[in-house]
Amino acid sequence: MTQRSNDRRLTRWPLAALVSLSLVQAAAAGPPLREVIDTEVRAVWEREKVSPAAPASDAEFLRRVSVDIVGVIPTHEEAVAFLADQSPDKRRQLIDRLLDDPRYARHMAELWDVLLFTRNPPGSEVDKRDGFQGWLRQRFAENTPYDKLVRELLKAEGNSVEQGPPLYFVQYRQRPEDMTEVVTQTFLGVQLQCARCHNHPFESWTQQDFYGMAAFLARLQIVSAGKADNQSKYMVAEKSTGDILFTGAVKEDKPGKKGDPVAPKFLIGDPLVEPPLPDGFKEVAKFEENKPPPAPVFSRKDQLAEWVTRADNPYFAKATANRLWAMFLGRGLVHPVDNLSDSNKPSHPELLTALARELVEHQFDLKWLIRELCNSQVYQLSSIGPEADPLPRLFQQARVRPLSAEELMDSWRVATGFETSVKPDAKKNVGRFAPIDGGYMIRFFGQPNTGTGDFQGGLHEHLFLNNGPVSQLIVTSPGSLYDSLVKSTSPWPDRIDRLYLSLLNRPPNDEERQKFSEFFSADEKMNPERLRDAIWALMTCSEFRFNH
Amino acid sequence: MSVGDLAKPTLLASVTVKKEFMIDHLSRRALLKGTLATSSGGVVMNWGDLFHGPASLAAESAPTKKRCILLWMNGGASQFETFDMKPGARTGGTFRPINTNVAGAQICELMPKIAQQMDKLAVIRSMRTSEVDHPGGIYLMHTGYRPTANVRFPEFGAIIAKYNGREGTNLPNFIKVFSQADAGAGFLGPKFQPFAIGPEGSLPPFSSSSQSPEVESRRHQLRTFLEETYAKEHRAETSKMHREAYEASRRLQEVRKVFDIDAEWEKHSELYGNSVFGRRCLLARRLIEEGVTFVEVSQSSYDSHADNAVWHKALVPPMEHAWAGLLVDLQQRGLLDSTLVVWMGEIGRTPNINNRAGRDHYVRSWSTALAGGGIKGGQVYGESDATGVDVKDNPVTEGDFFATIYSALGIDPKKENFAGVRPIPLAPFGSKVVSELLTS
Repeated sequence: MTQRSNDRRLTRWPLAALVSLSLVQAAAAGPPLREVIDTEVRAVWEREKVSPAAPASDAEFLRRVSVDIVGVIPTHEEAVAFLADQSPDKRRQLIDRLLDDPRYARHMAELWDVLLFTRNPPGSEVDKRDGFQGWLRQRFAENTPYDKLVRELLKAEGNSVEQGPPLYFVQYRQRPEDMTEVVTQTFLGVQLQCARCHNHPFESWTQQDFYGMAAFLARLQIVSAGKADNQSKYMVAEKSTGDILFTGAVKEDKPGKKGDPVAPKFLIGDPLVEPPLPDGFKEVAKFEENKPPPAPVFSRKDQLAEWVTRADNPYFAKATANRLWAMFLGRGLVHPVDNLSDSNKPSHPELLTALARELVEHQFDLKWLIRELCNSQVYQLSSIGPEADPLPRLFQQARVRPLSAEELMDSWRVATGFETSVKPDAKKNVGRFAPIDGGYMIRFFGQPNTGTGDFQGGLHEHLFLNNGPVSQLIVTSPGSLYDSLVKSTSPWPDRIDRLYLSLLNRPPNDEERQKFSEFFSADEKMNPERLRDAIWALMTCSEFRFNH
Repeated sequence: MSVGDLAKPTLLASVTVKKEFMIDHLSRRALLKGTLATSSGGVVMNWGDLFHGPASLAAESAPTKKRCILLWMNGGASQFETFDMKPGARTGGTFRPINTNVAGAQICELMPKIAQQMDKLAVIRSMRTSEVDHPGGIYLMHTGYRPTANVRFPEFGAIIAKYNGREGTNLPNFIKVFSQADAGAGFLGPKFQPFAIGPEGSLPPFSSSSQSPEVESRRHQLRTFLEETYAKEHRAETSKMHREAYEASRRLQEVRKVFDIDAEWEKHSELYGNSVFGRRCLLARRLIEEGVTFVEVSQSSYDSHADNAVWHKALVPPMEHAWAGLLVDLQQRGLLDSTLVVWMGEIGRTPNINNRAGRDHYVRSWSTALAGGGIKGGQVYGESDATGVDVKDNPVTEGDFFATIYSALGIDPKKENFAGVRPIPLAPFGSKVVSELLTS
């Protein structure tokens, strides 16, 4: 190695190495992480002379934390009970309850499914992902340590339906360069894509770095394994030979140039030491379909999976902690979350280091991390305040983010009583977004899927809300919100309370009560159509559309 | 006094005449804008508006601002079969050049109608750009920037909608008919997102309401109340965008008839030529006439890797007929001086004709054309060499091209927006305005 590249390596270390150096040392029992969060964030407010918003009200907190943890707003009954609860630690109890709720696993699995496959995956083989999604749900339900989850994903053992993980690589087929880009970006927060074609212009990554990583995945082959449950099964096989070829900068590329093989080398780390092939080794000519592929003599892929998820990997814990922080607090401490680099420094470096260190000490326990985040005072600030940035940079006011397509639909169903009042057989075989066509939900509400408020909803979304099938959710079956309000004999102010608590999870204020009373009593006898109007307006307004 | 009045204390003082109501209404709007500008002055992410408050923007948007139509040749039309003929050269292809109404300027025989409008056109024969494939090229030639992982650049339609668009109009400021680009408003935010019309001019799904006007108005009354109540305390830009988009979706109902061109088409099919592209161009003219700031209409696909001549013979004549008709129509209506018409695809095509009689992708030397608002017509700018392999003089990069477009529209190409904390000029840093192409 040349002196020059050694220097480059040294300059690259300090930012990345903060975690790894301290990881292995068990920290002395300090304050709980939630307090560290509050102390670190407050210190920056003081330094920057920023005043924080008031603490969130109980109603504000209840709705926010419910959507964030289980992906759906609370029911009317849950809201009434929580607001009436007098125990001083009811917020802590609520967080624990939500983390134990089976809907937590479903919600997290859906978030990770979109993270790993996006709304438009590159290969049509992965459009149906029931097996994979089941695996994710199972892992989150068991609270599998995140490093273990990622290791399983990258080792890709078994098949894509009964086990699940192989499907992740299937979408990239035999394209190790594409796999390398997403693996480093998603799990390490390192963006190598520029280095694929030329040395990175701002960062220190070189093309050798990129192809050194791609070499770990160059021997993978996707093998068909028949069908199960109407899904094609795939397995990931690995050859024992074969190299990635590097042809130099794309600009200087010439047709017919073959390129040189590049040996696998860990990013910021050593070349992989590989045992020699046994004498007389003969490579598999072609992997047989429908048969578990033989293991390679030495699996580069498994070495990569181990290295990525090691506690002392310079990026993994930090990238994971940062991603979780952004899911709950809006903006990443490094933002965007998948770009940890010297030119994109963290807003709160000590805090990020502490998050990563403690995540490692807690064996990548995601529930533990989420519990700490949600119990912090920073998370529990109000979104009411002067700040116009939906993702306040210093976390002085709660972030505002749009609900995902799934969160929006589930919340609509709970609020209108569709969820509980429509008989299960009427819901059969109608898809994730019943009673509305899932294609429309994804088209109008599927983006952004980062959960960080890069809101792009425009005119088209409102045409759908105004003129589309949303009204199919306003069901009239016994037990639905509509039915209970029509049949109720309570005075209007009480019924309006019910309406608000069901849809916005808070009681109306006097002005709102008066406005709606006036609206409902404008006709001689209560016009049921006006109730539909009111439910529609509350389902489509900003207060419902965003988690705030 | 009704309950409704209680909700609006600011109106109590102005019950006398309608005029005062108007003033009050306006000042309340202005006040809201001012507040937002102030409160967002120090934030980082304000959909590009770091130091450029909405109030000052509104003041800039006078009705005289220029508009723009983009005629998009999807797949990349060949310069050799349109504006950069190489008769006799090995790269020349099968078509012959013809004279135009500008002495000395010749173009391809496939474009006889455009040849008669050459005095309106500024043709650039020296384009040299940096994305040679379709997705990258489509992105580049809609934004002026190459795709990167960390910045979502806006399409120039969104930029022009922002700087030259009108506030509070019934029609969106940025409309696309059959567009293949998907960068949208990027970091400029949802307010400048394009409104997409189908290839046959159809409105997007759910554009028409099935509710009675009575129900519509009742719902609107409640929605407005809910949004106003929420906005009193919640200042996040995203919620504001949501409210504005809701307003825009309602206003659209007032102007839906603009999109129904059938009646007018009967009178104009001869001028525009009887083709779907012709219909799209007529729709574009109607939208511009109604005050829309930016309209893209597209024709697809010029990606002639095989049988290049056949493809161009099929695609160019209806396209050039519609284009010429559009220029004539705009001129007759007095709109040409205020409407820039941009003609381009994402790439040019190779000088070499491949073994399938096709031309492949090429960006080292190719052609585009501008006409109308701000453009000095009747000229050919730049030159390629004898075989069209390279630019001989006056190369125009994508950055120069967009800087010139913005200048023609009265927009300073050096103006900056912010992606996070990073300042992004409208045209990439270092771009040059080709002043020879401009009237002033």
